[in-house]
Amino acid sequence: MSGRVTLTRFAHDRFAALSRAWSQVWFQDSPTSPLELARIGIGAAILLHYTLAFPYIFDLWGDAGWMPRDVVLKIRDPWMQSVFYHFGAPWEWVAFHGLFLLCCAAFMVGWRTSLAKWIVLVGHISYVYRNPMLAYGVDWIVASLLFILCAAPVGRALSLDRVRAVRAAKVGNIEARLPPYSSVWAGACTRLMQIQMAVLFFYSAISKLKADIWLNGDAVWIVFTTSDYHNRIILDVLASHYWLVNLATYGTILIEIAFPFLIWQRSTRPYLLAAAIFLHLQFALFMGLFYFSFVMIMGHMSFVRPEWLARLGAAWKRAMGEMEMIYDGRCGFCVRSMAWFLAFDGLGQIKVRNFRTDPSAIVSDAQMEKALYLVLPDGRALPGFEAYRYVVLRVPGLWWQVPLFYVPVLSRLVGHPLYNWIASHRSQLSSIGSRAVAGASRQQQG
Amino acid sequence: MIWNSWRQRLTYLVMSAFVAWHTLAMVIAPAPDSSVLVGTLRAALQPYLTLFGLDNRWDFFAPTIGSGSQLHYSVEDAAGARHSFTPAEQVSWFHPAYIWSRDWHYGIIDDPQLYADRAGALLCHEHAALHPVSITFVEYEQGEFTAADLSSGKHPTDPEFIAVKTVKTVECPAA
Repeated sequence: MSGRVTLTRFAHDRFAALSRAWSQVWFQDSPTSPLELARIGIGAAILLHYTLAFPYIFDLWGDAGWMPRDVVLKIRDPWMQSVFYHFGAPWEWVAFHGLFLLCCAAFMVGWRTSLAKWIVLVGHISYVYRNPMLAYGVDWIVASLLFILCAAPVGRALSLDRVRAVRAAKVGNIEARLPPYSSVWAGACTRLMQIQMAVLFFYSAISKLKADIWLNGDAVWIVFTTSDYHNRIILDVLASHYWLVNLATYGTILIEIAFPFLIWQRSTRPYLLAAAIFLHLQFALFMGLFYFSFVMIMGHMSFVRPEWLARLGAAWKRAMGEMEMIYDGRCGFCVRSMAWFLAFDGLGQIKVRNFRTDPSAIVSDAQMEKALYLVLPDGRALPGFEAYRYVVLRVPGLWWQVPLFYVPVLSRLVGHPLYNWIASHRSQLSSIGSRAVAGASRQQQG
Repeated sequence: MIWNSWRQRLTYLVMSAFVAWHTLAMVIAPAPDSSVLVGTLRAALQPYLTLFGLDNRWDFFAPTIGSGSQLHYSVEDAAGARHSFTPAEQVSWFHPAYIWSRDWHYGIIDDPQLYADRAGALLCHEHAALHPVSITFVEYEQGEFTAADLSSGKHPTDPEFIAVKTVKTVECPAA
């Protein structure tokens, strides 16, 4: 009897240990930030790729183009599905391509991400299967990474969805802070993407080890002699220093074989990640494989530890110094604008002060009646347009506004009068905004 | 309370099943079909792999690297004169269209029965001003080119390193 109890306890302990190990590998509470970096990069890459394809859509994927529909339907596997199999009129191709590009842009900036990501995946697979002849390595990598991003809860950080959520919280209380998103499912999806990249490197290395050209160290020479990647300057350098060919060939195999084994260790991950990125930069630079290399580098972002990003953010925040924005808390328009503005400040670099309830020792109330002010650690106070101009360059979430604020001469020429006009009309703008908000709430209640 | 606990367990189970399934798919997709086990697993995973575009061997530039081929074509006009074209030279190397057209050219070279007729029809239309009678596709296949060849002033596209093969001739429809 006691032997059976011991056995049951042993089995229970083993199962519990296994379960703990499984959870530790897969289900650690993690932020989505590494996946968000991959989302932004892959979104940008496919947006550019398919935008450049716009002039050729009928050649590449149309019925009168390079791949007749009857041919692709004849050679396809029944599980290969494409929305293009069901299109008839040319406008359907144009409309879908337009929608697809919009969704790629939405996916990149993280706007309505939960919907956009699926349309991007379906669209990408549809393009690949409408003309499989055109699909090469990177198209399959994009599909594999997109699928994981679709399963993942992306759009919760570094996205417009996050900005909208923070803004909604701040409209009620400007000091409100939305806690950063993290979940065990985000951890599991990050792990899936990491495994995808490791598997890809492993099989890429294994397939190379089967061939003499790789084992003899000549593969890189052969690549550059083919018409597809021919480059006279590189060939001249390689011919006179043939050891570079051997180094590049064996170096490629070494990185690819080491990556899937050493990328998991805390101490070796930075080196393997740097080596993999270096390898792909070489592919981009010397072979012109820009799209492939960029997508691969973005896939590697899944190995970026959230604490590295946190440390980078903290270092940036320290380097930029504290910034305090003093605003008019009685003006509804100012509060709403401030909520939008602060929603982009993901690192929390800007402190705010409502001069109506908490007057500043540096800027007088009379000055504050005229404009918003930004106070810097050295005591300088920048008014209105200059305050925004200073901030947009130093807050990464606002970098997209830099072109607006830093056009030589023109930005200041237009910006100052525009800001002054808005500041002097803020009470009218507040009442317009309040009416709109009240109307919207009445509609919602009705 | 009990429902919440069961819901959590069920969620955990579903998440575990998905990550296990997808990891298996990622590992099996590129695996060689040499064993019965891989073959069986692949058969079970194939619909999933194909539907979501996950089926790839990840064998970039391996095991061998093609020596490189370039598609050329000549247009025969009504007077019997031939006009030669190298389509790869018409697209910038930096534009994605270069890779798309290169893949199309490889498709024509590798499977002319499937792709050459449509390509010929498109080129007949493109060169209508020449009053084309036929389009002949030709493959320029590169041979081995060593560092010693380069040092002696030769070039990979010199005639001695190129084998020219006719791929297919496509008749143009009468105007």
